[in-house]
Amino acid sequence: MSAMVSVPTVARIAANVFKESVRDKVLYSIVLFAMLVIAASLLLSQLTAGQEVKIIKDLGLSAISLFGHFIAIFIGIGLVSKEVERRSIYALLAKPMSRTELLIGKFFGLLSTLTVNVTVMTVALVVVLAVYGALTPPDLAKAWEAPATDPRIVVAAFLILAELAVVTAIAIFFSTFTSPVLAAAFTFGLVIVGQFGADLKNFEQVVESAPVAWIARGLYYLLPNLAPFDVKSQFVHAQPIAPSYVALTVGYGALYVSALLSLAALLFSRRDFK
Amino acid sequence: MSGQLRTVPVLLAATALLGAAVTAQVQRDRRFATDQPAEQVLYVQSPDVARRLALSYDVLAADVYWIRALQEFGKARKATPQDRNHALLYPLLDMATGLDPYYNIAYRFGAIFLSEAKPAGPGRPDLAEKLLLKGLAARPDKWEYMQDIGFVHFWAMQDTKGAAEWFERGSRVPGAAWFLKPLAATTLAQGGHRSASRTIFRALVESGENDWIRKDAARRLRQLDAMDAMDELRRIVETYRARGGATPVTWQGLVRARYLRNIPADPDGFVYELGPWSGDVSLGEGSTLAPLPKEPPPRVVLPAAGR
Amino acid sequence: MSAIETHALAKDYKVGFWRPRPYRALDGLTLSVEPGEVFGFLGPNGAGKTTTLKLLMQLVYPTSGTASILGRPLGDLEMKRRIGFLPENPYFYDYLTAEELLTYFAGLFGYKGEDRAKRVGRLLDEVGLGAERRLQLRKFSKGMIQRVGLAQTLINDPEVIFLDEPMSGLDPLGRRDVRALILRLRDEGRTVFFSSHILSDAESLCSRIAIVAKGRLMSTGTLSDLITAQLKGWEITLENMPQAPPESHAGVRGVTAIAAGRYAVDALPASDPLRLVRELTANGGRLVSIVQVHDTLEDLFVRQVDQASGTDRFAQVPPAAAAGGTR
Repeated sequence: MSAMVSVPTVARIAANVFKESVRDKVLYSIVLFAMLVIAASLLLSQLTAGQEVKIIKDLGLSAISLFGHFIAIFIGIGLVSKEVERRSIYALLAKPMSRTELLIGKFFGLLSTLTVNVTVMTVALVVVLAVYGALTPPDLAKAWEAPATDPRIVVAAFLILAELAVVTAIAIFFSTFTSPVLAAAFTFGLVIVGQFGADLKNFEQVVESAPVAWIARGLYYLLPNLAPFDVKSQFVHAQPIAPSYVALTVGYGALYVSALLSLAALLFSRRDFK
Repeated sequence: MSGQLRTVPVLLAATALLGAAVTAQVQRDRRFATDQPAEQVLYVQSPDVARRLALSYDVLAADVYWIRALQEFGKARKATPQDRNHALLYPLLDMATGLDPYYNIAYRFGAIFLSEAKPAGPGRPDLAEKLLLKGLAARPDKWEYMQDIGFVHFWAMQDTKGAAEWFERGSRVPGAAWFLKPLAATTLAQGGHRSASRTIFRALVESGENDWIRKDAARRLRQLDAMDAMDELRRIVETYRARGGATPVTWQGLVRARYLRNIPADPDGFVYELGPWSGDVSLGEGSTLAPLPKEPPPRVVLPAAGR
Repeated sequence: MSAIETHALAKDYKVGFWRPRPYRALDGLTLSVEPGEVFGFLGPNGAGKTTTLKLLMQLVYPTSGTASILGRPLGDLEMKRRIGFLPENPYFYDYLTAEELLTYFAGLFGYKGEDRAKRVGRLLDEVGLGAERRLQLRKFSKGMIQRVGLAQTLINDPEVIFLDEPMSGLDPLGRRDVRALILRLRDEGRTVFFSSHILSDAESLCSRIAIVAKGRLMSTGTLSDLITAQLKGWEITLENMPQAPPESHAGVRGVTAIAAGRYAVDALPASDPLRLVRELTANGGRLVSIVQVHDTLEDLFVRQVDQASGTDRFAQVPPAAAAGGTR
């Protein structure tokens, strides 16, 4: 079984994906727009009485997550489909690499891109929060649940990044065997379902029939459960985010990504490129 | 051909990885409560704002709120009486109906459970009425809501006059159920309390609107049957004691004395309790029909003066 | 050990959505290419040439049959280090410059640092890309892309080179350059396998050829084996003729008027051309030229394609175990 994956090859492919993203004007626009939203949250917060810091944090992290999702889904789908559509994959696969290495390289390439983007956007948010914190008189600031520049924002951003890794893997998975449009639809669908995992789990409290509750529970475990990656509420309300929680959630993400990419590699390796 | 991955090993690997992922998830869920708190759902407290935010998905959002309301109620049902908290029930129902003003089930179900007396329910008939009035504002011809408001007045607020007025109003809507007019009449009549209730609940059971409503109405009917049975048992005990029956009085004693054929049990199968010295009949301990609804004192109609 | 070998290589595609029927793109191809050969894989459009190349590159998987390159199975990583492939109408990443593309590909072979930079520079020189090498590929013309394509094909000093329609879309200068390149590769002892529907290229470059049509191999062999040296006839061009030479004249097969007083006479191979000229110009006229007419590759090509024309590619029979002529 040609499952030997060479790290240097994967790294080179990943580097190429990263280079492509750096030269992608659309990507810049998205990141810029996200930063605008973050800056605008400063203005928006003035409209609500009190709660400004909470709104900035909420809006900022939501923007990072939302735009990150756009990037993960649309670029994630294009990673494979563009190569195949434009046939650049013909020359590429003649080089000494396996299709699996190509797929994994693409994944890590986009992951690096997302890491840079999330970091940049988080830094922008921290700057906005720092400015806001500096401008607020100290006695008002004392009433806040959590400080404006709460270092735990790194944890929240890290979990967002972990969620985006799962979303990327989903996008790559679908794009290996369906058209880009269908892959986008399926990925979106799965991401939305992933937000309602808790409802699936609680089905048995609402529904009378046991088989239906069993199916719901099975789906809860099979489908990606993305809601726990969202710790905005705990972050904003200064509630604890235990390291073991982060470790288990990220671990879940990593294992789920591995499972998805294995399946994707299997499908990709059997495909005819017409 | 080299280059193609072999299916079986990869599928096994993927399954193993998924299994490991599930294990991690189970571990995490066990240690940390990850149920999304309903407070998060109520981040937006105003239905108007929510409607704007939901864009064209307001009906879908209404469904989400409705599901959360159901879960809240389910959770509360399962909780011990001390921990029971119904605080979120009304806001969630308000949001659901605010996003979708025609959300029939939310109005009717909401009204029933909002008016359910403590400790089983929130005991807020005022909110139940408020919710139903909102529904009427959207659908002025929905006689079912008028019936439901009448019911809330009758059962939870012990306001028979108001109840009768609402039943009357409902009966005037074209296409309303046949029983509303007689119901209005019965409500006002003396001793009509239980039979009026019976009529309402029977109508609910037969209306086939919804499993929840039907089951609850059936349960109320059983409660009424229990109350009738208990009254009958009290009369028997009275008679027994008046005729010099042995004290302390027990069911076995009554059976032996041929006043009863068997040990009496309520429609859910729990044996009634008989106070051995007081002769008082009440629901057996742990009966699923408890607590029985409180009845207003019977109206005494005095003969008109001068006749 | 052959450079390239196939045994009954076949590919069926499923065509249609509701009830897919198998379409036979390639039917039992068996051939071998020896090291150092320039092998022309010829056929009309849709004959299965590109399918064959995609099978060899493992871009698609065969329905049946086997193949090997340099004695190793398809897809083998060690073998891929020693081959180069230029697809038809190639597309490379348009956000990269020519230099960056070659650097990326060279990196995939494990070349690093200064060695890699030198190699990239040398190849770009060889294909004639000067300062353009620093432009992004999206600004390149088709001819320039083809040059980049050739450069990336050779980046690893391959022993076996696969070219799919290497002349397509090139102007005459470009084609001349590619021809020169192929000859140079042959002189360096490399094996070149290229597909084409342009016969003149094959005639001037190839040591051996194969002709495919409708997915079937019709013939393979050296040019001299396939095309008889036999004379087919004479073409005599005469001018200033007072009247058309008669077609009934002994030894004349046909007469074509070219212009006023100018005629092309098609004469039988057995005839004596010089005597025929004297006879035909007895009453006036002058000889322009006498040309020997031999069987050409084009004739062979057309004959073989006609032979294949009855093939039904939707046939349900399994692919042929060993098909095609072997001459």
